[in-house]
This record gives sequence, C-alpha cells and structure tokens, in this order.
Amino acid sequence: MSEHESMREFLALAAAGALDGEQQRRLDEHSRECPICRHELEIWSAYSQGLRRLPQPPVPGQLTERTRARILQERAVAADRRWNDLMLGALALFAWTVGLSFWFLLRIFTGGDLVIMGANLVRLGTWSAFSTVLVWVTAAAAALALGKRRRDLRRAI
Amino acid sequence: MILAAAMNPEALSGVEDTLVRMRRGDPDALSVVISRYQHRLYRYLLRLVREPATADDLFQQTWLRVMERIGRYDARRNFESWLFSVAHNLAVDFWRGKRGDSLDAAADAHHHDHQNDTPGERLPAAGPDALEQLLDFERGAMLAACINELPAIHREVLTLRFEEDMKLEEIAEVAGIPLSTVKSRLRRALEALRAALEARFPRKGGA
Repeated sequence: MSEHESMREFLALAAAGALDGEQQRRLDEHSRECPICRHELEIWSAYSQGLRRLPQPPVPGQLTERTRARILQERAVAADRRWNDLMLGALALFAWTVGLSFWFLLRIFTGGDLVIMGANLVRLGTWSAFSTVLVWVTAAAAALALGKRRRDLRRAI
Repeated sequence: MILAAAMNPEALSGVEDTLVRMRRGDPDALSVVISRYQHRLYRYLLRLVREPATADDLFQQTWLRVMERIGRYDARRNFESWLFSVAHNLAVDFWRGKRGDSLDAAADAHHHDHQNDTPGERLPAAGPDALEQLLDFERGAMLAACINELPAIHREVLTLRFEEDMKLEEIAEVAGIPLSTVKSRLRRALEALRAALEARFPRKGGA
C-alpha cells in the first residue's frame, strides 16, 4: 500500500481527533504535499463540525420528575417487600415460640398424657408434626394474602 | 458549558458530594444528578434506539439500575462513563429482547457487505456537491437523518465522540470494547455516514 493509500485510512480518524501523535504527524506531513488528501481532510473536518452541531432532541416533559417518582415508587415497593418478608419471619418465629411454650405448659398440666384419636399430643414428635403443619398452613395463607395485596398495589400504581 | 463544569474541580467535588448524598438515599440529590445528565443521557439513548418512547423508558430504567448499584459504584471511576455504560447495557438488552439480536450483530451484517472493499472503494469519491449541500441550509437535519440510517453501534460511537465529546478510552469503557475496536468502528461509522449522505444527496451531473 502506498503512503497516499495508507494516509487515506487516517483521514476520517483525523477529523475525529482519534489519531495518535505519530499518525497525526505523518498525516500532517503528507497532506502538506498532497492536495487530494488536504481536500479530503477539509471535507472530513466539515463532517466533524456538522456532527458536533446536530439538532438537539427535546427532552420529554417532566422526565426528571417522572424518573424520580418511579424510583421512589420502586423503593417503596421494595421496602414494603422487605417489611413483609420480615413480618413473615417474625410471625413464623412467634408461632414456633407459642407452640413450644404451649406444649411445655400442656405437658406440665396433663402430666405428659393427652391422647386424642389414638395419638398422644403431648409427645414431642407428635406435637412437632402438628405444629409444623399448622405453621406452614398459616404461613401459606399469609403469603397468599400478602401476594394479593402486592398485586393490587402494583395494579393501583 | 457541561464540559466546562466537568473540567472544573469545584464542580467535580460537587458531583462527588451529590453522589455521596445519593448513595445515602437522599431524593433531592437524586433529582440534582438526574437533572444534570438528563439532556445528554436522553440524547444518547435516543440516538441509539431512535424511538422517543423507548428512550424515555430506558432513561428511567437507567436511573433505576444506577440506584440499585450505586452502593457498588467505585468512586475512582468516571461517573459519566459508568452511567453511560449502564445505559448502553440496558439498550443492548432492549435490542436483544426486541430482535433476538445484539447491537454488534446488527452492524456486522453491514460490515460484511463492505469488508472486501479496498479503503479507496469504501471511501466515497471527493464530492464538492455533497459538501456544498452539507454546508448549506438544514445541514444538521440532513446529517441527523443520515445518522438514523446507520447501524446502532455506528450511531453510538458517533454520538459519544462528537456530541458527548468523550475520549476514545471512555467510549471503550461505555461500549465494553477494546480501544482498537473503537477506532475502527469510528472510522467505519464516519465512512458509512458519508456514503449515506452522498447516496441521499448525489453529486450533480451524475457520477
């Protein structure tokens, strides 16, 4: 490739200010001697100027306000979700604590023997299974209710 | 003016201060930062996706993402580059979702059409008529219309370089590409723009 051809590769980049020092020096040197490249540089320079002065698109009305409102809204939803998760956890812990306390008291008052439908409820294994089922059913009901509330809230937003 | 503010150390420390407040969740700081960048970010997104409604939505999504990740933002990084890279990634996701394609793939097809051309063939012949028209009335509108015909990755480098006045290294950071790719993409974008302009406004008197 001749010097002239290789310099043509640099012309557009020169207009974009994207040549390194050595490339720019070579191009300057060449364009001093070459009227074709000098003319090309003028054309690219016109493109460069035109690109810097393009018509500016108008920003849609209240873009900042709408964006801020959306962010605050998303934050509120996220905070609500965190609060719900925390509440669910606290409720589950509370249910376990009440269940265990109740089992302990029941054991004291019944002397460790409370048979219903053939099962001794005061036995730790039976009581644990019974409490677990109760807690999971309650948690599932609460989660469904919270999910419905969240969907309603999103729809309202 | 924006550039002058960016170069001013006092203005820079103001930005850092606002970012610290934003990180703490101060809604006023959030408004200040969004207002500061709204013109530039919206313009960048609009040049990229071309649809005002989509640019509007991506603008909002960009700030949502910024707020999600502001805690992980490294203050030693240039905030503008980080902000624009967040917007770039969202635009890429939008593109993939819309076309099942990427910004690069959209341009690759265009590139393959021209990769066998010699530099001389790729570069349109010097046309004074096109230049005169370029310098004539409605120059900006003509250029903007031609830019809209270019592939997204070409529109992106042109707007980042000429409108956002970003350094090549910053463009590389925003687009997530090597510096050499930025240069080649910039050159191809300019050549494609010129070809589009000369195709739209051919030289008087035929070839």
